[in-house]
Amino acid sequence: MIRQGPILSIERLSKSYPTGFWRKPVRVLSDLSCEVHANEIVGFLGPNGAGKTTTIKILNRLAFPDAGKVTLFGGQVRDGADVRRRIGFMPEQPYFYEYLTGGEFLRLCGQLCGMSRADTESRSSELLSRVGLSGARDTAIRKYSKGMMQRLGLAQALLHDPELVILDEPMSGLDPMGRMEVRGIIRDLKAAGKTVFFSSHILSDVEALCDRVIMLHKGRKVAEGRVEELIGAETLYIELVVSPVLPADRLAAAGIPPDAGYAQGALLVLRAADNEQANRWIAGLLREGGTVLSCVPVKKGLEEIFMERVGGSDSTGATS
Amino acid sequence: MLRRIFSIAANTFRETIRNKILYAILAFALFVIGMTFFLADLSVGDFARIIADVGLASIHIFGVIMAVFLGITLVSNEVERKTIYILLSKPVRRFEFIFGKTLGLSVTLLLTTLAMATVLFLVHFSYRYGGRAEVGIFIASAGIYMELVLLTCLASLFSTFTTPVLSAIFTLSLFLVGHLTKYLYVLGDQSKVEAVRWASRFIFYLLPNLENFNWKNEVAYGGLKSFSILGWAAGYLVAYAACVLCLSCLLFARKDFK
Ligand SMILES: Nc1ncnc2c1ncn2[C@@H]1O[C@H](COP(=O)(O)OP(=O)(O)O)[C@@H](O)[C@H]1O
Ligand SMILES: [Mg+2]
Repeated sequence: MIRQGPILSIERLSKSYPTGFWRKPVRVLSDLSCEVHANEIVGFLGPNGAGKTTTIKILNRLAFPDAGKVTLFGGQVRDGADVRRRIGFMPEQPYFYEYLTGGEFLRLCGQLCGMSRADTESRSSELLSRVGLSGARDTAIRKYSKGMMQRLGLAQALLHDPELVILDEPMSGLDPMGRMEVRGIIRDLKAAGKTVFFSSHILSDVEALCDRVIMLHKGRKVAEGRVEELIGAETLYIELVVSPVLPADRLAAAGIPPDAGYAQGALLVLRAADNEQANRWIAGLLREGGTVLSCVPVKKGLEEIFMERVGGSDSTGATS
Repeated sequence: MLRRIFSIAANTFRETIRNKILYAILAFALFVIGMTFFLADLSVGDFARIIADVGLASIHIFGVIMAVFLGITLVSNEVERKTIYILLSKPVRRFEFIFGKTLGLSVTLLLTTLAMATVLFLVHFSYRYGGRAEVGIFIASAGIYMELVLLTCLASLFSTFTTPVLSAIFTLSLFLVGHLTKYLYVLGDQSKVEAVRWASRFIFYLLPNLENFNWKNEVAYGGLKSFSILGWAAGYLVAYAACVLCLSCLLFARKDFK
């Protein structure tokens, strides 16, 4: 379905939590605005405590903002049962009724979403095998491992074939294999025309997967944009690999300061600040009898961009 | 809407009947009621009546224990374990959740009360091979059941905003007070101060009057005089429970989940 406006639009959201009777409430979200468009994969990034879960709870009406507005599907439909039927949600560290089996739980979800019994059964089988839980269908959830819970969480979010899928930390608690599977599922959703909005504190997961990212820090948006724009915009440094390892006097003769690089076995690795410097160094190296094996511009990753935007002030847990 | 309420109710019912502690309480209750069979050997007087009296009191007490035990965690468990996140992110409105949970527990209590009443009925019936089929046991149990439903609604109301321990204290306090409200009315009416009289009346009508559901004595002494008392009690239950549930829904409607 092609749509003009955004599927999800968040306008100037603010939220505080009370901390006690006398103390001042803590600000968890400040003036957050962002949009998600149809058929995008949007990563919602930020260190622990940035306010990602809080935002996602507000989107699912599990918490209510102090100020601001959330518009779903362009506001064509009032927020109610009809909107919820078009959204799939997986909470952070999902937890289910222990006394049910995986299959029973999905049946309950199907009933609540107004699906027919036959529909629920066929979708359940399909999704359980997609997330690798076919064998655990009739196992009590009490016996599930953390990773299995996460997988069941994904299955219940997708059961009613929602247009917009909101996932809170879908990759956390999974082994590398599981992460790869989840990435595959998210890509498949996009291929099927769905929209995915997911949070993560692991930048590399997001970098490889998302069309766009929104970075959050202490409840404020610090960056937003297409991944290739954010990453591609700036070059960190240019890495030169030279053979053989030239002695210090010949490096000096080539116009290269002694702290510009390091030896790595039989190779010399140099970091030039920009193209101009790299070219000057290459000319000098050739003059002094060196061979330039490679010259690669190293781009900023999301991690560096994040660090830069938050000013390196307080970024504990930005990576894992 | 109804389908979702029934789904949640069915799930709650399943939750409660898979609860091992409930079975322990029920088994103990049935044991105690069964033991009334031997009670007649130990006492003098109208044996059949004693069986009915002690038996009905047991049904009452164990019923209250079950209702409170299950009711106080009805909502708070889901919030604490975050299972409610998934439920409410589905097309489920919060009042549907509250109604469904309460309905599910009411069905469980119906079955447990029925089981206890049946055992008592059989004990009474088989007493010395000459007992009567005392239908009054079921009628009195119906009253007990109505009281349990009301207590469940109250427990789930408290469960929406406070901890299980406090919910239990509040619910049990209302249970005790609920059986004594008429004394409040009588005492208040003796006051010479107009305001006190009005206040005591106001509180009397505000508190649940659980004696409305108490027909144990009527049943034991020659049967219920009129069935209209049953209708009145049912009406009172529906009206009071509706108010309590609405209040729960209001408190719950804009609650932030941690
Ligand atoms: N119910 C709550 N009461 C008080 N503070 C909260 C509550 N929920 C979250 N917070 C605080 O809000 C901040 C953001 O939390 P959260 O949204 O969970 O972050 P994230 O998901 O990005 O790790 C944290 O500092 C957390 O301590
Ligand atoms: Mg979180």
